[in-house]
Amino acid sequence: MEDKEILDKFDQPESRNLAFNQLVRKYQQKVYWHIRKMVIDHDDTDDLTQEVFLKVWKNLENFRRDAQLYTWIYRIATNECLSFLSGKKRRFFLPLHDITAELTEKLTSSPDIAGDEIQLKLQKAILRLPDKQRLVFNMKYFDELKYEEMSEILGTSVGALKASYHIAVKKIEEYLQQD
Amino acid sequence: MKKHLKLSDIPKHNIHRVPDGYFDRLPRRIMERTAMQEEVAGIPAWLAHLSRPLRFAVAPLLLLFVFVGAYLFGTQQASQQMDFSIAALTNTEIMDYLDLYAQVETSDMEEFVDLNQNLTAEFLNVSPSAAEEELYYYQLDDLDY
Repeated sequence: MEDKEILDKFDQPESRNLAFNQLVRKYQQKVYWHIRKMVIDHDDTDDLTQEVFLKVWKNLENFRRDAQLYTWIYRIATNECLSFLSGKKRRFFLPLHDITAELTEKLTSSPDIAGDEIQLKLQKAILRLPDKQRLVFNMKYFDELKYEEMSEILGTSVGALKASYHIAVKKIEEYLQQD
Repeated sequence: MKKHLKLSDIPKHNIHRVPDGYFDRLPRRIMERTAMQEEVAGIPAWLAHLSRPLRFAVAPLLLLFVFVGAYLFGTQQASQQMDFSIAALTNTEIMDYLDLYAQVETSDMEEFVDLNQNLTAEFLNVSPSAAEEELYYYQLDDLDY
């Protein structure tokens, strides 16, 4: 179903719930996986995904129709992830490497992870990146978004995003060389 | 010689898993939460700003105010009704009531005697000389009230 159709239905009080249900079904997996790659833990991802859709529900009336619904939802999800991670650091007074260690521990001990050795090593390498660079890498490498779309979501110039992605790839390949 | 491993050599693969049926259940859970949010939106703004535990605490407090208000109102009404009823009663009816239900204390007697000096003899139904004899026997004349 097209976004426009969903939004038109949402504007009608009698079909509002139905439209929102269709919106959730359409975007739930994209939102979930975007968050999951950032926070690793399923339960945290579940909470954040629900929060994202609650925010979408509250603010959809004010959504500007000239923007793309997909990038708007993605932006909300991105902000939720970054707030969650920075809140975690503030709460426990942890420096960056400790959060990385915590997420890596979740990656290696969680029963919800299934991958071979090289896949796990790639994930560990990604977790060593700063949060925003990790976002850029995930969006380009896994979600295969265009730089223009990423720019709209993250509010950063295309040039800066390209540079950030190439630096991230370089860091990851360096880590992959290590035993 | 060690091969230089590049990112493009690694197949793209999602290593994370979700519980079975998770994406089938998620929309319903989200819809339930939006419905709850609508309910919260329906309550007064000042109450909605309170935290959830505080909102729960306000309910019994309001209930307590209602009960206290109802009790005070009821007491006031009963007191007004009683004033009216006593005024309408004859002395005989009051005396009959006191005979049956009231326990008259010595202090009550004292107040009553102050109002009507001749009542003691009438109430005790004895002659003054017999009363004096009794007082002498019990040495009650020394008592002060």
